[in-house]
Amino acid sequence: MSAEQLLVRLAMAVGLCLLGIAAYWGWNKFQLRRLSGARGRRLLGLEAMQAGMPGILYFTTPDCQVCKTTQRPALNRLEAELAGGIQIIEVDATVQPELADYWGVLSVPTTFIIDSQGQPRHINHGVTGKEKLRRQVEDTRQAGAAVAMPAVQALDAEQKQF
Amino acid sequence: MNSALQKVDHSALRVNQAMIIGLSLISFVLNLPWLAAFVFLVMTYGTVRRQPGFRSVYAGLLKPRGWVKPDVINDNPEPHVFAQGFGAVVLFIGVAALFLNVPVLGWGLVWLVIALAALNLFVGFCAGCAVYYWLGKLRLPGFAKTPPPGTFPGMRPRGS
Repeated sequence: MSAEQLLVRLAMAVGLCLLGIAAYWGWNKFQLRRLSGARGRRLLGLEAMQAGMPGILYFTTPDCQVCKTTQRPALNRLEAELAGGIQIIEVDATVQPELADYWGVLSVPTTFIIDSQGQPRHINHGVTGKEKLRRQVEDTRQAGAAVAMPAVQALDAEQKQF
Repeated sequence: MNSALQKVDHSALRVNQAMIIGLSLISFVLNLPWLAAFVFLVMTYGTVRRQPGFRSVYAGLLKPRGWVKPDVINDNPEPHVFAQGFGAVVLFIGVAALFLNVPVLGWGLVWLVIALAALNLFVGFCAGCAVYYWLGKLRLPGFAKTPPPGTFPGMRPRGS
């Protein structure tokens, strides 16, 4: 097989893999959009969430070993690192299967990063490391600040008029 | 009729899927039909032994070193065995097409196996298991198991 043929096959493989990744990304975006469609009212499962602070909605089950050995410790480390800057809501999908269905949870662990307005911003299917969760929380905070800024500017302008 | 669920280690299933995807990709990129044939043989061996074909990679290498942790869930093992056998049949047709010099069909079927294994590995949906449960609904002999309670047919159970 020539180098050219090898490159063509490699490019095809990469292209097909990217197509799969795009489909997966699109599905996650669709899920987020579906949940965000409930804007204006608090999403189910977030009733206990304190307003103004981002959170992580974490779906697990008692049977899930990786949840105990990997996911929960990662969440604990993140919580300790952010020292009160994040709230974690744990849901046992066997106790609340309707809630798991509402959020479109296919398997555990699944984590949703919730912004300070109570809207889901990221979905992670499967075990997610502390660093990735931290990046997503930071991203959510920045997005929240960008949304909040025009509102503050409008308020400032309103106050200046008086 | 659904008998009691058994303990199924989903980490072993995931390693099996990852091996199938990885080796099939290499076989395509390097144009090595014999490697796809090897994957078919391992999947067939696993189906006959009623275990993941690449179980030894998990049980002998990854698990003892702690690189992959067990993920034992109450589930039916039969649909997973059927799914692997189903994949082996598709791969067999693909490999046969490759050796009969019909590369488009052959590699197309290899990619179908890759796509279905990836769907299972990354999304948690086992298409072969869904087919098993669907055949069970049609009351075909040998397809006696029903999905674990609260689980959509083919989806990974969320728990017992």
